[in-house]
Amino acid sequence: MKPTIEEIHHIGKLAKLKFTQEEAKAFAKDFKEIFEEFKNASGENFQGFTKADIEVKKTLLREDVVKNFQNKEKLFKNAKEVKENYIVILKAIE
Amino acid sequence: MNLEAMTLERLKQGYRIKQFSVKEITTAYLDRIKRLDNKINAFIHLCEEEAVKEAKALDERIASGAEVGPLAGIPVAIKDNICTDGFKTTCASKMLGNFVPPYDATVVKQLKEAGAIVIGKTNMDEFAMGSSTENSAFKITRNPWNRDKVPGGSSGGSAAAVAAGFTPLAIGSDTGGSIRQPAAFCGVVGLKPTYGLVSRYGLIAFASSLDQIGPITKTVKDCAYSLEVITGKDPLDSTCYKGVVNRDYKEILEENIAGLKIGVPREFFQEGVDHEIQQAIKISIKKLEEMRVIVEEFSLPIMDIGLSTYRILSSAEASSNLARYDGIRYGYRSDNSADLEELIVNSRTEAFGKEVKRRIMLGTYVLSSSHYNNYYKKAAENRISIENMFKEALKKYDLIISPTTSQLPFNIGEKIAHSLEMHQSDIYTVFANITGIPAISIPCGFSQSRLPIGLQFMGSPFSEGKLLTVAHQLEERLTLQQQGLELEVREGCD
Repeated sequence: MKPTIEEIHHIGKLAKLKFTQEEAKAFAKDFKEIFEEFKNASGENFQGFTKADIEVKKTLLREDVVKNFQNKEKLFKNAKEVKENYIVILKAIE
Repeated sequence: MNLEAMTLERLKQGYRIKQFSVKEITTAYLDRIKRLDNKINAFIHLCEEEAVKEAKALDERIASGAEVGPLAGIPVAIKDNICTDGFKTTCASKMLGNFVPPYDATVVKQLKEAGAIVIGKTNMDEFAMGSSTENSAFKITRNPWNRDKVPGGSSGGSAAAVAAGFTPLAIGSDTGGSIRQPAAFCGVVGLKPTYGLVSRYGLIAFASSLDQIGPITKTVKDCAYSLEVITGKDPLDSTCYKGVVNRDYKEILEENIAGLKIGVPREFFQEGVDHEIQQAIKISIKKLEEMRVIVEEFSLPIMDIGLSTYRILSSAEASSNLARYDGIRYGYRSDNSADLEELIVNSRTEAFGKEVKRRIMLGTYVLSSSHYNNYYKKAAENRISIENMFKEALKKYDLIISPTTSQLPFNIGEKIAHSLEMHQSDIYTVFANITGIPAISIPCGFSQSRLPIGLQFMGSPFSEGKLLTVAHQLEERLTLQQQGLELEVREGCD
């Protein structure tokens, strides 16, 4: 199935990216090939998935341990702007 | 001092008999990089000042008789998607062009604690997405064996640095073959450990269920030395294996391998595999048989499903992982935006490269509500089937052997416009990531045009010991090291 150009622009909106018409056309063509290949991939000898194969996989989460990070100098190296030992943040609302 | 032929083992021996100091070795490697890397482009940044300072301090400790770690004085290059405290970690992207991590990744911490000296950060495909290291926002890395050819990717800088004698050890990351494919293209050893064996804390995520960190070295023994240092539990990575693993890899390298069973998947040697690669693998199989290893052909009908499943899964995870780059908290920020939404869109559009955008788009598409069942869910089911098929195969065989790549290193620019063709480079390597099993690539020969050929072994989870033992003994039997992997000739290549 070939994605439409409108669909590509919609996906771009979801992904927070923008494209020219030419780029969107290239994506549509590219994705069509990928999806066709994916659909055709399950060859006759492929031992497909059965429900019995499902193992319930538990999500492992690490303990949420509080750790103080005091080295402001290091942290501020990535800040766009620092004023009087504070990070200047972006004004989001006028 | 012949740095091209230098291995971890020789360096350790040299330090032991006081043949040279850590500072001399560190400076010699840095000098060589400064003299020759303009021809290869393996490095994005060097950590020169810090490295020399560390080397001096280590010399003083050695002189005072203090105990030093197992990698004391070993220079190491780190792929630029692994965080290094106080040194830029860019992921070869404009998005993280000025990012300076305030902490070390766990592997970097482990290497430093073992006495290794971080000499620099290596080039890569942007966010580890690519198979040629042409997708870097900064430079294109060249293959030291032939500078018109790609070094593979995405850890192309790391593999090229080891091959060119810029470092005896480099660290890479492997999501679909990104350690093994460049190792094969550059004639060096690359290991993707079992998922969970090595901590991924501090590795900038591409596809979290597939990513793994591993070493790139000149020999299998060096690979064993370095793996011993970087394995282990890490409370900062919840996916780290919590069981007990025997980490004395170098102690078992000489164990008898006679009677081991190795499977050769018939489907991996069909149409599309370069003739010279097939020949080199056949010679290796013969050598294994001479060592009384039982080699048997069997059927593993998954060739077509692996790569397409990998594409869907890895892109889906990438689209989710890369959503954090919005130009607000850190990373590149566009100067031309009227409102917040536009700022995010412009920042991402301006800073991400073409391949990264392509994968984010594909991932967003397959995760979107109207396509989730047809693509992402189906790919996740395929993954279970592939895992089961490998599990069954590895019940019958101790290891599985295959080519690492189906083709020899290709020309720079040859495949960059054809991403699907480029992806074919990963056709044999993606399975180890999909299933989480370990896999190693070792050099097994050269083409007539003097390009390296790689061979891959895959094994059951946590069978790194067996992988390394068989790979080491085959490497010794093939005697490629003795036949001259020396790169001296390339020093003069202008």
